[in-house]
Amino acid sequence: MNTFISTLITGTANGAIFALAALGLVIVWRGAGVVNFAQMGQAMFTTYIASNLINSGESYWLAFIVALISGSLLGMIIDLLIMRPLAHKKSSSSTKTLAATIPVIASLGILAILQALAGIFWAGEERGFPTPVNSFYFKNGAGTLPFSAFNLFVIGVVLIVLLLLTYFFTQTGVGLGMRAAALNPEVARLSGIKVSRMRTLSWAISGAAGSLAGLLITPSTNLSPNTLDLILIIAFTAAVVGGLDSPLGAVIGGLILGIGIALVTTYGSPENVFLAILFLLFAVQLIKPNGILGGKQVRRG
Amino acid sequence: MDKGKKIWRKNLIKSLTLGVFLFLLSFTFEPYNQGQLALVLMLFIGVLSLTVLTGASGQISLGQGALMAVGGYASASLITNLGASIWVGFLVAVSATAIFGLILGTAAARVSGPYLAGTTLVIALALPSVANRFESVLGGDVGLIVDFGTPPAWISNLIEVGYEQWQLWVALPVALTALFFTSNLMASRAGRSWQAVRDDEIGAAVSGIPVARTKVIVFVVSSAIAGLGGALYGLRGLVGPSVYPVSLSLTLLTAAILGGVGSIAGAFIGTLIVVFLPDLIDWAISGLAISEQFSNYLPSLLTGVLLLATIIINPAGVMGAGHRRKH
Amino acid sequence: MKIRGSQTKRWVIGIVAGAVASTLAIAPSQAIPVRSEVGVSATEIVLGMQLPQTGAASPGYKKVDDAMRAYFDYVNSKGGVNGRKIKLVVKDDVYKAGLTISTASTLINKDKVFAMVGSVGTQTHISIIKDINRRGIPDLFVNSGYSGFYIDPKKYPTSFAALGTYVVESKIEADFLKKNYAAELAAGKVGILYQTDDFGRNVVAGFKQQGVIFPAANTQKFVAGSQGLGLTAQVQALQKAGVTLVVIGAVASATAITIGTAAKLGFAPKWLVTSVGSDATTFKTILASQGQSAAAAAFLLTGVISASHAPSPGEDTDEFVVAFKKINTEFNTGAADDKVWDNNVLQGMNIGYLTTAALMGAGKDLTRKGLIAFMEGKGATLSSAALSPLSYSSKTHEAYNSFWIGAYDANSVLKPIGGTRVLNTTDSADGPITVSTYKRPAIAADALPKVG
Repeated sequence: MNTFISTLITGTANGAIFALAALGLVIVWRGAGVVNFAQMGQAMFTTYIASNLINSGESYWLAFIVALISGSLLGMIIDLLIMRPLAHKKSSSSTKTLAATIPVIASLGILAILQALAGIFWAGEERGFPTPVNSFYFKNGAGTLPFSAFNLFVIGVVLIVLLLLTYFFTQTGVGLGMRAAALNPEVARLSGIKVSRMRTLSWAISGAAGSLAGLLITPSTNLSPNTLDLILIIAFTAAVVGGLDSPLGAVIGGLILGIGIALVTTYGSPENVFLAILFLLFAVQLIKPNGILGGKQVRRG
Repeated sequence: MDKGKKIWRKNLIKSLTLGVFLFLLSFTFEPYNQGQLALVLMLFIGVLSLTVLTGASGQISLGQGALMAVGGYASASLITNLGASIWVGFLVAVSATAIFGLILGTAAARVSGPYLAGTTLVIALALPSVANRFESVLGGDVGLIVDFGTPPAWISNLIEVGYEQWQLWVALPVALTALFFTSNLMASRAGRSWQAVRDDEIGAAVSGIPVARTKVIVFVVSSAIAGLGGALYGLRGLVGPSVYPVSLSLTLLTAAILGGVGSIAGAFIGTLIVVFLPDLIDWAISGLAISEQFSNYLPSLLTGVLLLATIIINPAGVMGAGHRRKH
Repeated sequence: MKIRGSQTKRWVIGIVAGAVASTLAIAPSQAIPVRSEVGVSATEIVLGMQLPQTGAASPGYKKVDDAMRAYFDYVNSKGGVNGRKIKLVVKDDVYKAGLTISTASTLINKDKVFAMVGSVGTQTHISIIKDINRRGIPDLFVNSGYSGFYIDPKKYPTSFAALGTYVVESKIEADFLKKNYAAELAAGKVGILYQTDDFGRNVVAGFKQQGVIFPAANTQKFVAGSQGLGLTAQVQALQKAGVTLVVIGAVASATAITIGTAAKLGFAPKWLVTSVGSDATTFKTILASQGQSAAAAAFLLTGVISASHAPSPGEDTDEFVVAFKKINTEFNTGAADDKVWDNNVLQGMNIGYLTTAALMGAGKDLTRKGLIAFMEGKGATLSSAALSPLSYSSKTHEAYNSFWIGAYDANSVLKPIGGTRVLNTTDSADGPITVSTYKRPAIAADALPKVG
């Protein structure tokens, strides 16, 4: 098998997971106007919950579902306890730009707390995490094909999630309500949409998406309180590259990052990966500040 | 005498008073607290750089630690490779970081809010890669060993100076210079025009303030201050990637938030809190039977809680400057 | 200028409040110890240690201090050293050098430690080594294989190693490859995966010193700490290059990820793992919780080649292992996970044992100078669980310069290749590799070191 093609496939499999994480960021940004730097901290936390269930003998799928539910609950709790009170304070804050960064700071505080709690609860020990389907690469006679059933599973799951979300946001009343609340809260409120409830819902959906990303990425690395820090940075870059307010952009951004990192690692030097990410981030912000698929409207913040 | 000069003089007196006060206070301190106070002064400069950036532009940077690293590397490579004195190192650190800030500011002028926060975070993360790429000059991931050295003979002949005390004596004039400069700047015409841009870009543009250029200048000044703090911080023993990690940037931000963004006095108070928090925790739990596992994670847990509590209870921090300065 | 007025007021309040706060924060001055030496009283010796107990670099290493303390507690239960109990004060530096400097200051100035012992980490220790040495504080049994700390005692007179250096180990491993895998080397079938830091680079340098130079196509790297992104691309590249033996110069978690990933890719070369990454517990924990059965994880480890200066923690018949395991069970008060017997616990126990021996050797009139003089003069005569002698002298402060090469058996115990253990000795420079005839002295019945 050709090196280029196998690099592409490895990159796509990782990229699909980055896309999920980026999608989580985009949903909260669209729905609540917050870039949530705690997202992968939440995902780490729920992956630990799943890992504990599996280690105590429960099935993968039960753990999977519990992780997704606790992910959305965690998202809701963060909104209700922290972000909503902050949003109410926003109006009294001194400047617009500062108001936009306060939730960012809050999310960093949440990240610190989640990582500390994970350390306290689970001793900060390093673990692995299983896959629901075989992660051994397919055999082709004597050689191997450059992908596994798990790779296909990941790509399939991401596609399904994307389709479900598209359907949800374009075809269902609640989804349309969320979009309306995000685009113009005042008008939405007047037409009877419970704007703050819609925001909480964004946090819940995003929390689940982040959790899913955590469940899918940890099998190829390891699980510790800090493992997913890097994934957040990549997801953020992916979201900015694709356009922070575009779900499809997040997916494209995730794939660009996944494939890009694989290519730089294989053909360049792994030492250049972070420099390449930084370069990409700057280039996109200078050339196309709203991202590849970002809307035309002036950016918030 | 015009107002500008008055403020100038007032700030000079205030900075000198603080300096003399801390200088005298340091004699009553044990070496440990002399070192802690020196650390407060070093980080205070870093927090000041954030105060300038946030107070003057409303922006938050999560990469201020990386700017400190630029200053640290600039001075340390000069000191280790050319044997320059630390004072020359400070000047070079400021110039190098200002240039870096110019490049960064030009690129980042169009970036704002959470975008800037994320972008600066990526910069902080990319630092070890840069140090490894230019290993021969920057020492790779082990870095460059530098320190405050020993006091010159004319001081040590006069009085015995401990290592911590010497750290403090070097840090003090540097920090006071930064303080004096910053407090003048924030009160100056330029500083006021920056705040005008922060509060209302369009309004500022209408009244003839060059918005884009102003933003870049804010970056340059903020970077230069961070570079100075970084050079000083590196002299504690090492300039290397693990001295300026992402968490340093977050520490600076925490200090700025706790004290009150945009407030100079708040910057000082916030820095005191973050530096002395571990000591306070040690003191508070010393009699309690809690597991090592819990106490190890307590500093980061409490930092997170304090951060959240501050912005929920009073986003303007201890000094509450943000609210009052509203126009 | 009303605005300015209120600002000024707040400014002044700020400074006053700050001054008050800093005054309040001053710890009450401690009583001057009765004896003249810092950290030593008639009844106690205070030792300090810095290591990552939290954060990304903490897994594994955070067990070392608990094991050391367990051994000290055991010594204390037997009356201590010359009637003095050993107290170990540990500070978490999260593997961030900026914090190491602060925690070292706490240990030196506030806890007033007599000596530093067993500190973990190259990048962190380098930030304080100059200061510790300038103050003349003994810096014993540093857990870093970075040769720069030890090969010039004039530069760092108080620092002594607890490990063999990375260079020594990789020279011996390279020699092993040349003798046993000459055909593979000649055919360019040997590759390497290493992390791009001082450790990884020293590994490459050690192999190079022995003339083992890896072709570019067989050389893969990753930024230390970035294994969270997976190492699939690197492992695939090695697979494509057609290598049949891969050297891994990486920490334990990255080593486990590498071998686990290779298994998934159907890539089954011979592995040679440097001792840093060769931790059976970490390996099996990560692979087993990846959903592989314990048997599958053990299978992947079977046959993996590694080097060691000590017995394998799995050697249940080794008298030191037996004694240390018993002490660990009885005296380790760490968290449940931190007590699990493995390489890190063995290493911690061994440092506890060596520290006790050094304190005994320095005599009843315990001084920093006396301790360092003992370490330089007689440190090399100390024995420990290690199968290698110690190399301390006035010319070098390296610890173990002998390694034996083994392979993991089906029970995850590192066993000598060929059945008999052969210890090879060399130095961190260009010295030759010779076979050591050292015989480790037996452990005493009370598991306490006997000195002098």
